[in-house]
Amino acid sequence: MTKYFSKDCLYYFRRVMTNPIDSFYEIRYRDYGSVPIALICVAIFGLTFTINRIFAHFVVNDVNPLTVNGLTEMRVVFLMFFLFCVGNWSITCLMNGEGRLKDIMTVVGYSLVPLIVILIPVTLISHVIAAGEEVFYYFAIAIGIGWSAILVLLGIMTVHNYSLAKTLITLFLTFVSMFILIFIALLMYSLINQLYVFLYSVYTELVFRF
Amino acid sequence: MRKLLYFSVIMLLVFSMTVPVAAVVVPYESYNYDYWEDMVFTPAPYIPARNISGATVGAGSFSRPNDLAIGPNGRVYVADTGNNRIVILNPEMTETVGIIETFDNDGTLDRFNEPFGLTVSPENLLYIADTMNERIVVLKDRDDDLSDDDFNMELVKIVRDPQSEMFDSNFAFVPMKLTVDFAGRIYVVPRGSVEGIMVFDPNGDFTGYVGTINVQISPWQIFWRSISTRAQLDRGFLIIPTEFTGVDIDPDGFVYATNIDPVGEKAVRRLNPTGEDVIRTGENQNLGGDLVNDDMGLYGGPSVIVDVVYRERGIYSLLDSKRGRIFTYDHEGNLLYIFGGRGSQVGTFRQPVAIEYLGGCIAVLDATYNEIITFDVTLYGSLINEAVGLRYDGDESQAVEKWHEVLVLNGNLELANVGIGKAYLTAGDNVNAMKYLELGKNRTFYSIAYQRYRNEILKENMPYIFTGIVVIIAALVVFMYMRKGKEKGDS
Repeated sequence: MTKYFSKDCLYYFRRVMTNPIDSFYEIRYRDYGSVPIALICVAIFGLTFTINRIFAHFVVNDVNPLTVNGLTEMRVVFLMFFLFCVGNWSITCLMNGEGRLKDIMTVVGYSLVPLIVILIPVTLISHVIAAGEEVFYYFAIAIGIGWSAILVLLGIMTVHNYSLAKTLITLFLTFVSMFILIFIALLMYSLINQLYVFLYSVYTELVFRF
Repeated sequence: MRKLLYFSVIMLLVFSMTVPVAAVVVPYESYNYDYWEDMVFTPAPYIPARNISGATVGAGSFSRPNDLAIGPNGRVYVADTGNNRIVILNPEMTETVGIIETFDNDGTLDRFNEPFGLTVSPENLLYIADTMNERIVVLKDRDDDLSDDDFNMELVKIVRDPQSEMFDSNFAFVPMKLTVDFAGRIYVVPRGSVEGIMVFDPNGDFTGYVGTINVQISPWQIFWRSISTRAQLDRGFLIIPTEFTGVDIDPDGFVYATNIDPVGEKAVRRLNPTGEDVIRTGENQNLGGDLVNDDMGLYGGPSVIVDVVYRERGIYSLLDSKRGRIFTYDHEGNLLYIFGGRGSQVGTFRQPVAIEYLGGCIAVLDATYNEIITFDVTLYGSLINEAVGLRYDGDESQAVEKWHEVLVLNGNLELANVGIGKAYLTAGDNVNAMKYLELGKNRTFYSIAYQRYRNEILKENMPYIFTGIVVIIAALVVFMYMRKGKEKGDS
């Protein structure tokens, strides 16, 4: 436990946000950072994302707060996280990437920190702005998203020891593989469902006969 | 606990007594759309009153009637298309006061051939779109006495064969629906015309088209057309603007014209005398009837608006023949209420073709049932009508009382909250204005209220804010001095 949640791991966020390339290098080659903390980051991101969707003021919020379910949001966030990590891992495995699945998950999880940090204050800000002043709100969010995106890009680049061009190509392929994963999952679901229906009908047939 | 029990019993009694409409089972859904464009069910604004067929008024069955009109004396005129006649009913629609089948045309007895539309001018002239004869017949009651029941119709004029270099050689003038303004100008919706509404001057000469609808091409269509071959383009369908379906006119001479909008965004236009569209749209920029139309099949797709009636004080209603709905808008383009439906119960339609408004009651003509179906206003509907009317007249403070009563019947109505909020805003009560405008989900006016409120607070607390800033700066300066002194002392 202490290995995963040591003080070093917690203080590591600051280093990730300020010195991303160095710290991602250390994640890969010196085993800094940890997957459980990355997962907690994702969970907190899901939470702040939900909070933003529910509590952002209606001047900037197009979502009906009554239709937002925190658990569903959390599930979707985690699903996208795992899809991205697995997709990226399966592509980079084939393209001489040096990163392990553990590294990818850690990097992506830690990269979400700027977004987490920005979403709560932005939600508060939304309550003191009027129409015409939304620029402040959207600009702050854009900063958060941009920062996180750059961190993910640098992280993937560093842990796999890629060039920028190759990183961009693998990111594109990652999205393709995410679609393939979803497709296969749906296919599996429908096949297993059919198998289940078939076996169940055989069972009912037997039950009625004997 | 006991208090709660008493309270709920009392509330139950109160509500069961004040809302009689809740007990009436109407054969259709009444709803409106909220800020998120979700359907929200509302109390019924109108309930079915009567079904009037040709037999019940003693005129013999109607056959495919296609238009209704109300005369200045309240009489109801029905264009009984299939029977080639015009039937005139008394204002209560209980009996026939006259049937026009023939008229005297310069000494010869002339007849109609499938009249599809008609209208009555304020001078009590009867304009009939004699569709299959390709002409417009204008008649008037010879003795000019509006109260008697003998209909001695005299021909005033016949409008036919319009002449203009705009028409191509195989042009045919087939008038479908028409309306006439106070100056006697005739606005005609011709069949199969994409140019717009034809305008005739009081002498019956064609003066031009108004309200031409622009073609809308999607980027997708442009893409497909760019990669299609000449042969494919020749075989494909033409992209042409939609036709107008119905017209009405308000007392100021503005023409309301409906068209079938394939994307369901704008199905009605309000044309000023020069032909410009001056209609106002609400917050969601939509005037196309139903917003949600994901259903597939016969009942899916955007509403098919076939007729419009200008009611009073800026309120107008649209008739949808696809789902049989009646959409009512105010002069600002806000949807007030939606009701009506297709079906076979009393108060539902099969093929609604025309809508009219007479003395607080809505009448819809159905061309398959051959009946006029009337609707009576409920408390809910009348409160909304009055509140909107009061706002139209500029009497906001009185409208607020009505809106509060509406909120008792339907707490979800954003329109009522916005109405109250705007009144508070005018009165200068920013806090209450913010509360109601937020409930009504009106970003623009909420922001105005909020900015005023914020400025007020800033103005009141300006001394404290500035004092605070000065104190903080002074503290920082002192702190830095002390630190400098300390560093010096250390070294």
